[in-house]
Amino acid sequence: MVTRSAGHRIRDAILAANGKVGGSSVLTHVPQPLTRPFGSAEQLEHECVEAVAVGEPKASPRGTGFLDGIQRYSVVGRFGLVPVVRGYVAAAVLGRRNENLCVRHQVSEEFVATSIGRLSGEQLRELENTRLPLYDSGGDDREHPILDMHLAARVVEDRRERAEQRVILSYLRDRPEGWLVVDGSIAPYLAEDGASRILGLIKSHETQFLEGEDLRTAMTLPVGHRSSVFARRTNGRDKAYTWYLRLWPWDDRGLLHGLVRLELAPVDEAVVQASEISAWMLSERSPLSAPDSRWDRLIYPMRQVESYLRAQVGEWL
Amino acid sequence: MRPDHNPTIGRVVATEAMPSGTHQFQFWTATDTDLGIGAIVRVNDDSGRIVYAVVTDGRSYSDLATPLHDVVAAEGDPAAKRGPTRRTEVRLWTGAVLRQEPEEPLQPVPLAAVSLATKEDVEFALRMDSYVRSETAGGIPIGIYTGGGMSAPVYLDADFLLGPESAHLNISGVSGLATKTSAVEFFLTSMFQTFPAHKGSIAAVCINVKGPDLCFLDQPGELTDVDREMYGQLGIDPRPFEHVCYHAPFKADGVNLNTLRSHHELAKSVQPLVWGLREVLDYHEVLLNRDDIDAKSDAFIDFLTDRVVEKDFTDEWGTTHRVCTFSDLERLFRSIFEGLEATGRSDMWRTHHIATIRKVRNRLLNISTRCKGLVTDDGSVSDLPFGSFEDRSVHVVDVAGMDQLAQDLVFTRVVSKLREHLERRDLGVECVIVFVDELNKYAPGDGPDTYVRKMLLDISERGRYLGLVLFGAQQFRSQVHRRVVGNAGTTLYGRMDMDELATPGYQVLSPATKIKLATLPKGELMIRHPHFTQPVFVRFPRPPILPGPVGVQKFPPAKEVDFEDAVVMQLSTLDRRILPGRVKELIVGHRDDAVRRALLATRRAQPDDALAFFEAALGTPVAREQVTGSVGKTTRLKQVEDPYAS
Ligand SMILES: Nc1ncnc2c1ncn2[C@@H]1O[C@H](COP(=O)(O)OP(=O)(O)OP(=O)(O)O)[C@@H](O)[C@H]1O
Ligand SMILES: [Mg+2]
Repeated sequence: MVTRSAGHRIRDAILAANGKVGGSSVLTHVPQPLTRPFGSAEQLEHECVEAVAVGEPKASPRGTGFLDGIQRYSVVGRFGLVPVVRGYVAAAVLGRRNENLCVRHQVSEEFVATSIGRLSGEQLRELENTRLPLYDSGGDDREHPILDMHLAARVVEDRRERAEQRVILSYLRDRPEGWLVVDGSIAPYLAEDGASRILGLIKSHETQFLEGEDLRTAMTLPVGHRSSVFARRTNGRDKAYTWYLRLWPWDDRGLLHGLVRLELAPVDEAVVQASEISAWMLSERSPLSAPDSRWDRLIYPMRQVESYLRAQVGEWL
Repeated sequence: MRPDHNPTIGRVVATEAMPSGTHQFQFWTATDTDLGIGAIVRVNDDSGRIVYAVVTDGRSYSDLATPLHDVVAAEGDPAAKRGPTRRTEVRLWTGAVLRQEPEEPLQPVPLAAVSLATKEDVEFALRMDSYVRSETAGGIPIGIYTGGGMSAPVYLDADFLLGPESAHLNISGVSGLATKTSAVEFFLTSMFQTFPAHKGSIAAVCINVKGPDLCFLDQPGELTDVDREMYGQLGIDPRPFEHVCYHAPFKADGVNLNTLRSHHELAKSVQPLVWGLREVLDYHEVLLNRDDIDAKSDAFIDFLTDRVVEKDFTDEWGTTHRVCTFSDLERLFRSIFEGLEATGRSDMWRTHHIATIRKVRNRLLNISTRCKGLVTDDGSVSDLPFGSFEDRSVHVVDVAGMDQLAQDLVFTRVVSKLREHLERRDLGVECVIVFVDELNKYAPGDGPDTYVRKMLLDISERGRYLGLVLFGAQQFRSQVHRRVVGNAGTTLYGRMDMDELATPGYQVLSPATKIKLATLPKGELMIRHPHFTQPVFVRFPRPPILPGPVGVQKFPPAKEVDFEDAVVMQLSTLDRRILPGRVKELIVGHRDDAVRRALLATRRAQPDDALAFFEAALGTPVAREQVTGSVGKTTRLKQVEDPYAS
């Protein structure tokens, strides 16, 4: 008798006990611990999370914009151990005109980030002479080469978020109507005027708000289905309305394949609009954003914003 | 520096795998652009360097990495609704450099903005500024370049067309669609109107090899408004040629002309082409080289030409011969054969073997049969007016209806005579263009090394120093001898055959250029000219000339008539008042060839009183002497001894 390989034996076992086979490719790297694995949810649409068929894909309304931002930074040198970081951030909104994407708004910023408190007067003056914006990355009295870099990186990220915010604001202001799809959570923009026209498209699922059967339903949505809408708490006391949507069949591909989460400002219409908005996203599956490895969750216009911004920076250094 | 340029439509791009070179580069444009293959563009670098180029290739692609991704997005259904966004797409073009400014140091094309060429840019890019605007300008309009909503005339440099820098023009393309004949007709029109007087006098000799092709060069054709507009833009008056003279041999009957231009309204402008023994003997190589003519035959023919023809020659048996015609020659041969037989002497006559003599006799007398109509055996001669060619005159030699051998003879002799006269500088003009259609027939790439081909090779290689310029046309360039086409300084291409384009001669052309050539509409040409670094596409108007097929409808050829009526008709083209009855009375009792000779003399002289002249010419031998005197230019008739006259 031929001995079956370990892989086959395990698959047989899973199938024998009503499990589903299929998952990831071979991994070697153990990921960092998750910073916020759990959040909480409050059901809005149904008592328990259900899988809702979205229906036929449907083009999003004319005038919909797509936002993304990028960042680049590098250590240019050091004063003693203090890193002097050159940073670049940019953000843009692309809109569609006759099926072609074109730039509606964009901003960019180039700056220096360093631990200002640790510099001498002369060092500071010289940096100021560059006439680039200078941002403080802070830091304790005690120096730590890695931690100081992390702090500088935080500044860069913060600048990018602000750049995105600026673009969003001018976009919402200039266009009294139409949706804006942003890459990631809408939490930072909830306070803005027009926040109800922002749709967050979240591709990573580090924080889980649901649990038990609700989570199982959400994580195993069939293609073309969404979960019930629920509310999640954002950082402060604010709420965002959110739901999961499966863009591509996931059987054999792993649990999260094609799974995105959509977020809206907490307005009553959100529940009513969830299926329609989901249908828009389904229509965005074509054209495919492959060869980007995140093609199952990254919609083509978002990838184009990113490509555009990357092309703008060029080599940067 | 030429600061004025059109708006930017593209940008030069280069990658390591696809770098920008000194002669070729890539640039992209928006997807909706006026640009196309053959368009002339200009690259404007901030540093001041300007590059002019012609678009030789265009490609388009999107950011789709593999066709599979499209399948996935459509979930396997080709009819699936397309997504809301169109993929990012690029229109990538290849430009081949025409000219750089500054020219030195020669550098790769800068990564800069691209705009469509302006009229001035076109002139500069094609280096036309040097010969269109200069003091000694000699720009000859060949057509109109159009690109991006702009059009500009394109000129060829006369010095590179007619010598001495380079010379000759060759045109290729498929039958009926390439507009080869039309292009040459148009270009000759253009040249005759624009060739500057200070560069000398020119004439053209066109060999009509196909039907009525070149039979109506003096008749206006129909033009469209577009054609007229092009003429306006090129500064040419769309009128047919003014000085055209036609030369055609007779048909075998010796009175009806062997041409489709025989309508009575036009017949007056057709001169018969009639040659005698001397004209043929001088070019015997053409007629004999096909067979096994050897050194012995050659020696005998030389003997005939040097010692016998047109001289008093007394044979061993006491007869004095004066051989001026084929009949005289035949009499000499007979006398030799009979003499040898009667005396029972050896097989040799004056060091020539009797077999050689028989062979030469058969060949020569055969010629007068095969080329009947061209070659007379009665000694009368009518030829092109070598020595008195007029500036901007066209001579059409119509050989279309002739036997191939006769065509070869005509062609060789006409060209050789032109050459002789040009060498002696007494042709009447300084430069003559010989237009030969179906060049592949006369100078084929393979096949026997004929005398005709040798002569064409000689013109191709040395003609430019003499002012003897060959304009050749053929369907397939690859079928013409390489040195003949290779020596053409200017080459035109009309619509081409795909198989022809696949032959090695076209490897330098980009695939897109080849496709464009294979689908070129009527009235468009691709030009290679020494000043143009790259081939350039132009449009040209219909020639202002009645096309052959339309011409024969408008001027149907005269019906072939019997001898008497033909004589009447030909005389009445000279003078409408002539009464047919009177002519018929006059010729009664005269032998046909005597009548033919008188008719020929009358046609050539074109006297005020044609009938009187004809009558005199027909009369007595004394009267014939007088006729000769009044003809003046030719001395041939003086030597004619009509064996049947007395
Ligand atoms: N400039 C022009 N624009 C449009 N049509 C033209 C133009 N010149 C000529 N033509 C048309 O093209 C046709 C073919 O022209 P032409 O006889 O010159 O071709 P060709 O190449 O010499 O053909 P072939 O090989 O049979 O001798 C004619 O019917 C003529 O009317
Ligand atoms: Mg032709």
